Parts: sequence; C-alpha cells; structure tokens
Amino acid sequence: MSTREVYTDRLQAGVLLLPTMLVSLLFLYYPTVRAVGLSFYRASLARSDVFVGLENYRRLAGSGEYLRSVLISVLFATCVVVGVMAVALCVSFLIHEIEVGKGLYLVAVIWPYALPPAVAGLVFLFIAHPNIGIFTSYIEALGVDVNWFSNGPQAFVVVLIAAVWKQIGYNVIFMTAALGNIPDSLTETAELDGVSRTQRLLRVYVPIISPTLVFLVIMNTIYGFFGTFAMVDLMTKGGPAGATNILIYDLYRTAFQFYEFGFASAKSVVLFIAVGLLMYGQFRLSDRYAYYGG
Amino acid sequence: MTDVTLQNVRKEFDGVVAVKNIDLQIPDGAFVTVVGPSGCGKSTTLRLIAGLEQATDGTIQMGNQDVTGVEPKDRDVAMVFQNYALYPHMTARRNITFGMKSAGDFSDEEIDRQVEEATAVLDIDDLLDRKPGELSGGERQRVALGRALVRDPEVFLMDEPLSNLDAKLRIKMRAELAKLHSEFGTTTIYVTHDQTEALTLGDRVVVMNDGRIQQVDSPQRLYDYPETRFVAEFIGDPAMNMLSVDISRDGTEYEAVGPTFRIPLPEGDGLETAAGAKALLGVRPESLSVADSADRSSFAAEVTVTEPLGDSLLLECRTGDQEFKLHAEPRTAVEPGDRVALTVETERLHLFDPQTGEAIYHAAAAESSERSGVPAG
Repeated sequence: MSTREVYTDRLQAGVLLLPTMLVSLLFLYYPTVRAVGLSFYRASLARSDVFVGLENYRRLAGSGEYLRSVLISVLFATCVVVGVMAVALCVSFLIHEIEVGKGLYLVAVIWPYALPPAVAGLVFLFIAHPNIGIFTSYIEALGVDVNWFSNGPQAFVVVLIAAVWKQIGYNVIFMTAALGNIPDSLTETAELDGVSRTQRLLRVYVPIISPTLVFLVIMNTIYGFFGTFAMVDLMTKGGPAGATNILIYDLYRTAFQFYEFGFASAKSVVLFIAVGLLMYGQFRLSDRYAYYGG
Repeated sequence: MTDVTLQNVRKEFDGVVAVKNIDLQIPDGAFVTVVGPSGCGKSTTLRLIAGLEQATDGTIQMGNQDVTGVEPKDRDVAMVFQNYALYPHMTARRNITFGMKSAGDFSDEEIDRQVEEATAVLDIDDLLDRKPGELSGGERQRVALGRALVRDPEVFLMDEPLSNLDAKLRIKMRAELAKLHSEFGTTTIYVTHDQTEALTLGDRVVVMNDGRIQQVDSPQRLYDYPETRFVAEFIGDPAMNMLSVDISRDGTEYEAVGPTFRIPLPEGDGLETAAGAKALLGVRPESLSVADSADRSSFAAEVTVTEPLGDSLLLECRTGDQEFKLHAEPRTAVEPGDRVALTVETERLHLFDPQTGEAIYHAAAAESSERSGVPAG
C-alpha cells in the first residue's frame, strides 16, 4: 500500500470529508448504536422504555416462529445467490459471444434492475397474479394450478423468481465487463485447441473472472437478505402462513406493525451479526479460491 | 506438415479492405515470414489461415483440402500470439495440456510423452508447476511454444511472438525458433513488423503493404532485387536512398543525371526504355562512400548530420535539394557543414518508376535461376 498525500493541508481534507462523515454518523452509526442499545430494553410507543437485559435475545432463541424465519431467509438468500448468478452467467456469456445487437440485449437485461424495487414487485405481481396474471394462463396450461396467494411453496418460488429477475441486470453488468476484459487471444487459443464452449466458459472464463464473481456473491447475499424486502411486502406480506417471512420482513413487522421496538432491535442485531459473519466467511473462502493474478 | 495455398483471398471489415485479393503459396515444411508496416494486412492474413477470420472472398487450401469455411479447430494449426495467450490461472503444465485434454483426441500417456519431449526441447522442465505470473516473458513464450509443439500441428502460425521480449532475449529466441524449425520441419508462417526477424528467420519472405503482397522472395534477393520502391525502402536500415534523376543516353552509355551529379549506369535490362525519362535512383547507404579525391564519377555533397554507430559513421548529406544517408568509414573526419566528395558503387544501383514505384532496372544482373532456400520434400 502506498500512502500518497493528496492534500497537504489537513484542515482542507477534513472539511471536504465532513459532509460524508456527518451523514454517515447521523444515519448509519448513530442508529446502529441506538439499535444495539434498544435491544436491551422493552420499548414501545405507549410506555416508557424498561431495561430488560438479555430478555429480548432469550425470547428470540426460544421462538419457533423466529427460527422458521431464519431458515426461510437462509434458504431464500441461498436460492437468490445461486439462481441470480447461474442465470446471469449464462446470459452474460451469450451477450459476450454475440456480435450483432449486443447493446440491445444488454439494455433489455439491465432494464428490470433500473426499476425501483417497489415497482418491480408490482409489475411482477401483475405478471404472475393467480387470476389476472399475464403469464398465469400459460403456466396453468402446463398443468400447474397457480394459487400462490394461498400455497406457501408456490409463494416462495414466485417471490424468488421476482427477486432473481430483478437482480440479474446488476450481475450481468459486472460479468459482461469482466468477460470483456479477457484478452481475445485466450478465446482464440481455446478455439484453435478445440475447447468446447461450455469448457471455455467453465474452465477458462469463470476462473479468470472469479474476483468479480466473489464480489457479486457478496452483493447478492446482501440483496438476498435485505434488498428483497419490497417484493415480499408488495407480493405476499410474508405469507401465506409465514412461507415468505424472511428476517428483514419479520423485523419490520415487529417494529412497525406490533411496535415492539426493543424486540425488533434485537432481531436486527442478530441479522447484522449473522450476515457479517457470512461475509467474513465468504472473504476467507475467496482468498483461497479466487484468482487475483500473479 | 502440409503446404498452404491462398487464392485471390480478400477480407473486408465493415467496408474497409484489409486484404486485397492476395495469392500466396507456402511450400510444405517452409519457414515463411510475412513482414510489413502496421495495418498492412499481415496479421489478418495469418488469422485467415488460422480460421479466426473468415475470408470475404477467395479460397484457402491446406494440402489438397479446401479449408476456407472450416472451423479453426479442424484445421490442425497451432498459433503463438504476441501476448503469449497463456491461461493465467493454470500452471505451465496445464496450459500446455489443456487444449489436448479438452479436444480429447489424445490418450493420457500420449500427452505425457509429448509434454516431456516438448519441454525438454524448450528447456522448461523445471517451470511446469509455475503459473504464468511467476514466469518471465521469455519463459512464458517458451511455454506458449510448448503448447503449440505438443499438438504436433500441420502448420505453425506465429503472430509477432517475440515483439514483447527485450532485445537480447529476442535475438536468443530467434535463434531457438530457427533451431526448432530445422528440428521439427513443420510448415511455419511467421508474421512480424521487424525486418531483421523476417530476413533472418524466413526461407522466404513475404513483404506486404496496404493489403497487397509486394514481393515474395528469399531474404538476399529481396535485398538485392527489390521489385518495388516500397520493398526497396522497407527492407534495409537505414532505408535505400531515392534520388530523382533523368536518364540520359549517349550511344551505349547511360547516365543518371541529377542537378549536381552524373552517375554512370552499367548496362542492363530496362535502361533502353527508361532513357530520356525521369526515374528514381535507388542507392543503399552502404553503396556510397566518401572519396579521397574527386574524379569523373564522384559528386559533391554537404554533410548535415553525423551519427557515429561504432562500426560505421552514418552521414546525412544533401546535394542540391535532395537528401540521403550513407555509411562512411568509422572515425572519418567530417563535421556537419563539411563538403565531401562521394563515390557510388555502380553495381548496386536501382531505378524505379516515379509514378508506379515499380523497379525498372537493377545494375547487378539477376542470377537466371533463383536460389531457393526451401528444402525439398
């Protein structure tokens, strides 16, 4: 690491940093500290806060409903990461290979990502609505009874598809950029050697773009746990019967529907620590497997 | 091993013509170098032979087979790239074997044997477990060569393989490439912008410019008998001097006449038609020398720049409004601004048509049968 002093005047540097630091302090670090503190209280709108120590955490550990939400979140996030990356990799490879209309395909793929999550959720709600959905009749023609308003597993799959669909564009941007950086001569060598397309993708391209893939695994994990809130809220409200009740939605309800701020804070602290640990594990793994050159 | 024939091959990229209907025959087992300035179409020609580009028009044959529309992998060619094109995440060994294993045409024992052979020849046995990032430029290029060798292809295609190496290593690898070719005898097509590489490596040299083949010849003939002004000026460093002259005739005596000089021309083909017209007199810098005293065939010039090269003294001179360069004896006592008398080795003169640039006369009569550097069989 080289340290280069861009500003010789420390005061000037400080002043320029100040706005960012203020915003971060006010909207990021202060709420974090406040949430951790609040998690040790019984807090609600009506009564004054009462210190309860680890009571909130004890309650969490004993809650079967919460445990189920954890399992659903982990399953959901895993499916999102794997689904998004598998589809995005195939799409990126196809876009990378095609010579005509590359830009058009890219725009088409990136479009869902450009939508606000709430709009994407609404759009998907109408695409797949059990009664009036555009795709519903076609899917029912295949012999599937579309009733995800009442069928839990179906609801999970529908929200999952919506979440994947929304996030593919983001992944494709990074993957096509990474693929574009691979020297043509590597592709040509593989072609001359008779390496098949699938082999070329899996044995040549994927290892070379692995740093980008690691970055995307992490971003998609965050998205899987936190970014899919709007879709759950708009499409299923966590139901039916808790089938799509992921942690972020669960804690939102605890806080803003049941007004149990202390309990919700405990939930958010647990989620924060869990995802933090997961990130750490992913970084450690990536150091071992990703190819960073050299 | 096989021969390669290009017939009327043309390549256009979005309306830009990169290769303009070229014909080229590469005999079985030859080492052919293709040389020209950047953008002359030499790399495109190589890529057309590899199948990485599809010809807009014309046919490419290997052996007796028309391969014009054939996939690169089915042409049985191996290519070595300027940037080595090694897979950065694989060890040297895996780089060498990956293609063979993927193609699935070789058994494991066969692959091991081939790798052992090739790496021994290239002296890279110790490097096989390292990744490209841990290898020097020269080592990387050896691994890339190893990858090409193990496939035992019909044709080797090399696209400026030594351009990324430093000067000393380049000379060493040049010698090794020549050795490899004499050992394996595989037909090799080698593209370079470096005329020294082209002349030292090639049995035959193809000079290209602006999408066209200017001349195909053995290195020495290319130097001695350039067919066009472009070849004359491209081959040789410093380039051949071009002086505007009128050709005058007096009985059977011919002279190239400039504003400040008259240079006698030995009898030869082409002089009779050139007489009375304007022409470009081509004189190589080593064919000019500083004379001790002025005589009938010498002429005066002013020295403008002196460049001591060690083994010779390069002089830039001016006579009238024409400038030219010459190699003088080292340690010749001349300074910029001096006037010197120059003599010309008249056996090494050339005349070119000022409009078309084609050669109209070479002072040294060409040998009747062309010496071929291509080994038979």
